[in-house]
Order: sequence, then structure tokens, then C-alpha cells
Amino acid sequence: MNATPKVRPPAVPIEILSSDAARIYTHIHPILILSLYAYKFPSIVADPVPALLSSLIPLAILQIVFVAICLPPTGSNTVVVEKKKPGEKKKAPESPISRKIIPAFLSLLLSVLFATPLLAATLVLFGAPISTHYFHTLLCAAHISLLATLPLVYVHGVDGQTWREVVALLLPVDEVYGGMIGTVIGAWLGAVPIPLDWDREWQKWPVTIVTGAYIGFAVGKLVGGTIGKGRKIMFD
Amino acid sequence: MARQTILLTLANVLIPVAILVFATGFFPYKPFMPGLAVFEEPGWEDTFDWKEQPTPQFDKLVFMVVDALRSDFVYGEESGMKFVQSQIRDGTAIPFTAHATSPTITMPRVKAMTTGSIPSFLDVILNFAESDTSSTLAAQDTWLAQLKAKDGGKLVMYGDDTWLKLFPDFFARADGTSSFFVSDFTEVDNNVTRHVPNELLNSDWNAMILHYLGLDHIGHKAGPKSPNMIPKQIEMDGMVEQIYTAIENEDHLENTLFVLCGDHGMNDGGNHGGSAPGETSPALVFMSPKIKKITEFMDRESPAKPKGEFEYYKKIEQSDIAPTLAGLMGFPIPRNNLGVFIEEFLYFWDDGIDRIQILLRNAKQIKTIVEATYPSLSFADEVKEIDCEKTLTSGEHLACKWQKVVQAMSTVATLHPQMRVDFLYSFLRDAQNTMSSTASNYDVSRLFLGTFLAFVSFGLTFLTLPKLRPISSTAIFYALTLLLYGILMFASSYVEEEHNFWYWATSGWFFYLFICESRKEWFPKFIFHPAIMLLLLHRIIRRWNQTGQKYAGAPDIVHSALFQGSNSIILWCLVGATYMDIMVRLSRHIARSISSLDDGKGKDPVDFESTDINGFIGTIAVLPLTATAFVFKLAFTARDAPELTHGINEGLLQWVGELSLVGVAQMVFSGILLVASWQVLAEWWRSKARKREQGNGDLAVALFDLLALFLVTQTKAENIPLFLLFRSQLFFLTLLDLTPTATTLTTLLLTQTSFFALGNSNAISSISLSNSYNGVSTYNLPLVALLLFASNWAGPIYFSSAGVLLLGSHGRAQRFVAKEELDARDWIAAEREHLEKLVTKESEGRERRKEGSGAWRQHLGLLTLGVSSGLVAVMGACSVLREHLFVWTVFSPKFLYAGAWGTFFHLGISGAWGMVLWGAGKL
Repeated sequence: MNATPKVRPPAVPIEILSSDAARIYTHIHPILILSLYAYKFPSIVADPVPALLSSLIPLAILQIVFVAICLPPTGSNTVVVEKKKPGEKKKAPESPISRKIIPAFLSLLLSVLFATPLLAATLVLFGAPISTHYFHTLLCAAHISLLATLPLVYVHGVDGQTWREVVALLLPVDEVYGGMIGTVIGAWLGAVPIPLDWDREWQKWPVTIVTGAYIGFAVGKLVGGTIGKGRKIMFD
Repeated sequence: MARQTILLTLANVLIPVAILVFATGFFPYKPFMPGLAVFEEPGWEDTFDWKEQPTPQFDKLVFMVVDALRSDFVYGEESGMKFVQSQIRDGTAIPFTAHATSPTITMPRVKAMTTGSIPSFLDVILNFAESDTSSTLAAQDTWLAQLKAKDGGKLVMYGDDTWLKLFPDFFARADGTSSFFVSDFTEVDNNVTRHVPNELLNSDWNAMILHYLGLDHIGHKAGPKSPNMIPKQIEMDGMVEQIYTAIENEDHLENTLFVLCGDHGMNDGGNHGGSAPGETSPALVFMSPKIKKITEFMDRESPAKPKGEFEYYKKIEQSDIAPTLAGLMGFPIPRNNLGVFIEEFLYFWDDGIDRIQILLRNAKQIKTIVEATYPSLSFADEVKEIDCEKTLTSGEHLACKWQKVVQAMSTVATLHPQMRVDFLYSFLRDAQNTMSSTASNYDVSRLFLGTFLAFVSFGLTFLTLPKLRPISSTAIFYALTLLLYGILMFASSYVEEEHNFWYWATSGWFFYLFICESRKEWFPKFIFHPAIMLLLLHRIIRRWNQTGQKYAGAPDIVHSALFQGSNSIILWCLVGATYMDIMVRLSRHIARSISSLDDGKGKDPVDFESTDINGFIGTIAVLPLTATAFVFKLAFTARDAPELTHGINEGLLQWVGELSLVGVAQMVFSGILLVASWQVLAEWWRSKARKREQGNGDLAVALFDLLALFLVTQTKAENIPLFLLFRSQLFFLTLLDLTPTATTLTTLLLTQTSFFALGNSNAISSISLSNSYNGVSTYNLPLVALLLFASNWAGPIYFSSAGVLLLGSHGRAQRFVAKEELDARDWIAAEREHLEKLVTKESEGRERRKEGSGAWRQHLGLLTLGVSSGLVAVMGACSVLREHLFVWTVFSPKFLYAGAWGTFFHLGISGAWGMVLWGAGKL
């Protein structure tokens, strides 16, 4: 409560790297992600645990490729901002591949180790079964975590203040942040069809939640990158 | 200002009007034909040489109802009723599955069996208002009335007192048992059985009715697979054997027909009320040595395999019992009967003319009802040309069928009697189907008028709300909740699983509150953030009782090993903690009231602090009340749910077992009233003595805590710890800085959530009757209705009142720090900031409590908006989906619930009681 107010530069939306590959791949990525999910969907419905587990690997690879190609790793963003002067064109950081791959793997590690348990706990708080389906819930959290938090860790690092702003929805919207918000809201909305009496196999836990998260990710990323870009989320 | 109040009042008045208008269209009052039927000329005397009437086959009747006797309990391989099964094999018993229509609860089922009619859904309400005279069958034509009207007619009845309520002064001898304690498996039945041997020796009666309740109690308590079930079936089987042997051996019982039947079945959870196959498939067995005559060529295999779910042997309608008894015993068919004489019994009469006459009388009786329903169509007895080839309405279809009967009856050609029988059955069955389906009976214009009125109420409420811009995200959340709720009301599965919607929305709302608070200020230990704690408590609360249809019977906290058997001591510790919490709160109120008397006039009483001695006196004053309430709960549970008291000391249980429940409950209620009056008096006194204009609203808090004690008394023991969790939620809510709109939304969500968390659902079968007779010694309908409502809506009443307190920050300690006097030099900046915030918070609540601030009106307005939009959705769904397969099982119970929410809860609690509380807070 008594923290001395640090002078922080105002948060700015994350820009996609300016390379051609980045500009193209950022649009291909959600299609690939959704295709992967659509391809895996029948097996996830049939037997969620092994299918969700095995699809984590391609999802992780896709996400790492995405952040490595399209996003500025943590730290580089602020540097760019500070250097930016009126009229100056933004420089595309031409860093060697290792400078991107290592942070990407670090983000993966952090997402799996920290974000997944936290998200699993949140899922339980929102009503996930507590005495059964542990692996279902944990894997569901892992998918949400890879979709939502991996890119965020990559661009924002582990700065506590930034993460507080992430939770409080205080950051300006961009593709990464939009993707995260979309994933979470999608997962929440994914619970709606479960009680319906359609007697479909896919209504079982946690298929609808994961589906909602994937769709939410794609929608959120699209909205965050286009009409929502740079906006602040207003509550009142 | 005044205009808005008028509009809001109007909107609220429209709510019950809309419900009433809709109800009259949805449950049309079925006119019934009064008076007893008499034998009339069957007609076609020139073609047929009728005898007087077919010889009656029986002159006495033993009608044994075993409550909830599902078909498989008698016919299945696992049944304990071996004697009945051997009778089926011998051919002295004819088995049927008698289809019971929804609502499958005792009173409408007894009506169906005795009158032959299909009771309307209104009987469900009347079932709970049992003493209502309009629901008795005293004035209606039943086989009981017909048998009583016979020469020497005398009826005796032992068992469920529903019969005594339905047939007042009908029975020469009777002994009613009420199904008050569901845990009673033996006493209720012994009370019936002990009369049977003597009555079998008496020859003065011509009908004996027995109604056993024990099997139903076992179902409610432990389900159809309970270990008590088979022994109970064996016991019932023994009764059947005893009666049947008497019929075989006693001369005066020679011509006795013995009917064994269930009034309804039960589902896998042991409950009933809906229309699952298990609930609608009771057994029906006719027994007599004479029956051997007609069973010669029938399927007599037993135990049997079901054809469909619980469908054993031939499936007939429950209403068929009435005309069948009429034919077999030779009395006129009751006037309102829609049943059809069971075909197998026709073969008692060897002469085809007798068979035709029996069916013709049945057909003419039903035709009278059909004629009354379709006055424009011709059902005359003369041969006519009717075009039966075009597409027909259901009425025209029946007219055609009747015309075929007329033609078959009038023809001079020699017809085999069976052909005429077939034509008669064709008419009878179609008439039964058409007349039983209520689709033709809706008054559609009233359905739409009712929905429209609810919509007008919604519109008027909307006008009373303050300006909408800028739109806050809370308002959007509110609107989206109402919108989504409205949409989901059209999905039958979401009506059954409504709790999931509210649990889901409440989780989302608490998380939203967490984000909202985090935007203002980051809470360092965010795991213990009040909103996260709310979410955690919510997660526990929603698992307390499994409710709904889809996962009925799934594991939940109440049924876990945590509270069962010897572990019940854990439950009682939590129950005790709940009572202790209430006691501490009440003692503080008493202490404060004493201190204000001490201080006397002239001084400004210290508002919050109280001396030790006052606190001590307060505890002494409320200890007897709360202790009595606790003892009452223990004594009640020891009788109602003994499995929850295994962990309690035997001696204690014995002591509470001797207490008079009615007396103790009356003591609790009087104590609550006494403390309430004292508090009102003391607070009134204090407000006079106070110099400052406005108090803390302590009276409202005191009334709320007393209400909590009342509600806990009206709650089943296993649900009482929920009130401790509710109280904790309330505590965390006061820590959050809720805007008025957010307070109202929280109220709405938590009233709904707590309703379902206490184990309620939108099914009639989930209504709990057990606490509705607390302290009632003589039957008093308004009182029982009030207690019934309070016990089923305890959670919503609690949170509705809590919402009022939250809105006005009632009872919050006030420092009256003058903000402008705060000097930067006096405190360090942070402290200053902290105090300033407290001051704003306090004054905000104080301001809202002031006259004319509109906070209360806006609160009620938003709640009215929720109720009216919900009603629009439910009524709309019932109107649009009135031909839906589930309209009687899902949508009409939901409408009844919506009606109860709209009238009793919204007008009574949110409106009237809320206004009392709000007014008390101003003192």
C-alpha cells in the first residue's frame, strides 16, 4: 500500500515485428492453431487426457514459432520506445535466432510451471471438478496457459508490476493481450453448453472449455490486432 | 421523483396481475359435472334386447394403495412380493402397469384413480394447500360416492390422511396417518396393519381402502435400492396374502375384488412428481379367486421382463380404474371419468350384449364430456353423413369415430359382437387421448396477454431507472445476465439445470469484482483478496447440494462421508458454530440496547462500544433463545433424519426425543418476536435520545440477525452450515467497495445461487415440506404456507435482506470524521488517505440511507427489472413451446416457480420486507 510510486513509462501496445515473415505469419498462426485443434478434436472428444497431452507439444511448438517470428522479446520493446523519436522509423531488431529462441523456451517453461497450476486452481474455483478429473483439469489449464500466457511472458517478462496490470486489465490492447483476454473469456463461455441435454460426447469435461479457449484466442487476437489495438479497457 | 415511484409501484402491481392472467390461460379451470351419475337408458332398445344391466361380478372392494409402488417392485425379478407373483402365475391375479400422468404426487393421483379424470396442474398447488375445500372430492362423482350411495354402502379407510381430506365425512370408520416424518418407515404402516384383521371379520362395509406410506418414505430417504426396500415389499406381500386368504376363506368376503396398486412410482433418486418412466409406472393388480375365469389364455409369466422402461404386462391409464370398478361392481360410471373399461374384464360376461352394454355406457358417459368440449359438433345418436375423409381437427375426428359407433349400433345386419366392441373401443381410446391432452385447452389470448403485461411491467420499470449514460460495465453485466437468462429459459435442459447458469454467472461476477478492485489498488496478498475469498466460498457453496435433473444423485458435500454416520459430529459442530455466531451477534444488539438505556436522555450514546457488563447481560439474554433453537433443531433432526445424529451422545438424544417439537418451536418463534419487539422499542428510544439526526441503522442489522435465526430454524440441519458460509460471504462483501448497481446485481445473483445451493430446483419434487409444520399444532393454511415458503426460500430471503444492508452500509461504525478538518500536518499522508477513504465510504452509505436519495428505489427497480424480464422469458417460453413434449414436466413447473418468485419472493420479501428493513435502518 505504501509502495513508493515508481516512474514508469506508460504501457504501450506490443507491435508485431516489421519483418515480412512476421506480418504474414501473425495471420497464419491462428489458422494453424485452430487447424491443429480441429484435427485433434475427434481424439480429444474420444479420450481427452492422452489427446490433450499429445496436442500440447505441437501447440507449444506453434506458439514458440509464433513468438519467435512475430513478437519482440521482453526488454526490446521498451528500448524501442525510448529510442523512438518523432519521424523515426521503427527498427526491426535483427537479433540472432538464439536471442529469440531462448526467451521463447523460458516463456514456455514459466507458463507450464507457474501459470498452469495457477490456472488449474482458477478453473477449480470456477467449478471444475475437485475430486475427479484431475488430469483433465490440469491439461485444460495447460492449454489455456500455452495459448494465453506464453506470448505474454515472452513480451512482458516477469515484471510484477506489469503482471498486476495484466490481471487488472490495465494494459492497452494488442494482439498478445487480446489473445489472452479472448482465451480466458472463451474458456468461461465454453461452460455454457455443458448442461444442455443434447447428449453429445463433446459436452464432457473439459472439451467445451478448451474449445472455447481456442476460439477465444483466435477471436481475441484478431480483435486485439485490429479494431481494439491500442485501446484501454474502460470499466466505468 | 414521485412520477418514478408511481411507475415502479405500477410495474410491481402488474407482476401478480400478469402471473394470474397467464395462469388462467395456461391452467384453464376445467368445469366438472356435479352430482352423482345414475343409470340411464343405453339407447338402441329396438335393436338390442338389453337386460336390466349386466350382472355385477363383485359386491365388495378392498382397495390397497402402497404409496410409490413402482411396477418393478411387484413384477420384477428382484421383487420381494413373491405371493403376488404366485397369484399371477395361478391366474387369480391380473397384473397391469397403470400409467400415471404428471404431476406424480399423491393427491392428484388419488383424484385420478377415484374420479377417472385427469387432474389439472392446479391440483399441485392445492396439494400443498390440502385443507382447501375446493380441492375435496366431496362434491364430485367418484366410485367412493357411488359405493356409498349403494344400498348398505359403508366405507372404511386406514392409511394416508390425504383420503380423509379429499373425502371428508365419507368413512364409517377411519384412521388417518400423516406422512410427517419421512424417516418413519414402520409406524405409519403398523398404524394401518393393526386395523386390518378386525375389519376382515366385519361384514358391514362394502369398500375398504388401505393406503400404506412406508415404501414411499424409504424411497424418499434412501432411494429404490435401499436395503429397507425388499423387507418392506415382503411386509406388503404379507398383507396381501393375509387379505387374499381371508377373501378365499370368509363367506362374507366371497364376492370381494381386491385391488393392489401404487399411486405413482419413483425415480432412481427415490423422488417423484415429474414424468420420468419410473415415476409414471406404478403397478396395478386385480385379485380374486373369480378372476381365474378370464385369465385362462393370458400371459401369466411371473416374474416378468419389462417391455419398455418399467413397462410390465399391459399398460393402461390410471383413470381406467374408475370405469372398470363401475362395470365390475355394477354402479354408474362417475361423471367426469375419462377412463376406459379394461378389455380383459369384458370376458367375465359370456353374452356379447352384456359386453356391448358395459362399453356403450362408458362411451356415452365420455361422449357427454366430449360434447361439452366441442359444443359446435354433432354427437347425436342418429345415423348421418359426415365427411371423414378430409383432414380433421381432433374434435371432428371424434365426431367421426362416434358416428361409426352409431352406424355399427344401428345397423340391422348381423354383426359379430366383437366388431361393435372394436368400434366402441376405437371411439373410447381416441376420446381418452384427445381429452387428456391439454393442448386443446389453452386460452392462447390470455397467454399472450399475460406475457404482454409482464413486458409492460418491464418497460415501466425501465423508465424509472436513472439516466443510462455513461454506461457502466456493471450495468452491462446486469443486462447481459438478464438477457442470457431469458434466452436460456427457452431450453428445457437449462430450465432443469438452472442452477448451473447462476453458479456460472456468480463465479464470473466475483472474478470481475476482483479485477475491478485490482484496477483501483493492488492487494498484495491477492490470494486472500476479498473477491477471491468470495469465489472460494461460492465454490464450496455450490457443491453443498447436488441439484437439477441431469446429474441427480451425483456426489455432493451433504451426502459425502463427511456428515454421515458417526461423522455427523462434524456437521453438528458446524451447526453449533452457526448458532453461536448468531448468538454473539444478537447479544451485541442487546448489549447496545441496554447501554443506550443506561446513558439515558441528554447524552449522546456511544454508538458501538459497550461495557463488559452489558455484553454479559446481552449474552445471558439471548443464550436461552439460541440454545432452545439449537435443541429444537437437534430434536427435529433426531426424528426426521436420524442418520444425521449417530455421532451425538445417546443420553442427549433420549432427552431431546422426549421434547414436544411443537412446543419448542413455538418457544423459538415467540423468543424471536420478543427480542424483535424489544429491539424496536429500544432503538426507537435511542433515536429519540440521539442528538445527531442519523443513526447507524443498527435496528436493521438486529432485525436481519433475528431473521437469520428464524431462517436457520426453517432449514434442514445438513444445510445450516451454509448459513455460516453465507455470513462469511456477507463479511467479504462489506470489505469490497460496491457501487449501488453492483450491490443490486450481487443481491440478484446470490439470491438465486443460494436458492439452488440449498438443494432446490425447478422440479415440483424438490419442494421440501419437512419444516413447514414447525410450531403448528392445528392446521392453519396461511401459517403453513408462510413456513413452507420460508423453508424453501431461506437462502434468497437471507441475501435479499443482506442486500438491503449492503446498500445502506447499515450498522457500520461511524466516526463522523469531518474531512475538511483533516490537516496534512497532523497525520502522515497515507493515514490521511486511508481515513479519507473510510469517511467517503461511511458517508456514501449514510447518504444513501437518507430520505429521497433514490438509492432504495433504484435497488428495487433493478430487482423488479430482473423479475419482470425473467417472467417475460418464462411466459414467452411457455406460450411458444406449449406443444412441446416437456411442457408439463419442465415448463409448467418452472412457471409455478417463477410465479412464486415474482409474488411471494419479489413482492413479499424484496419489496415489502425490504422496505421494512430499509425503514428500520433510518431510525
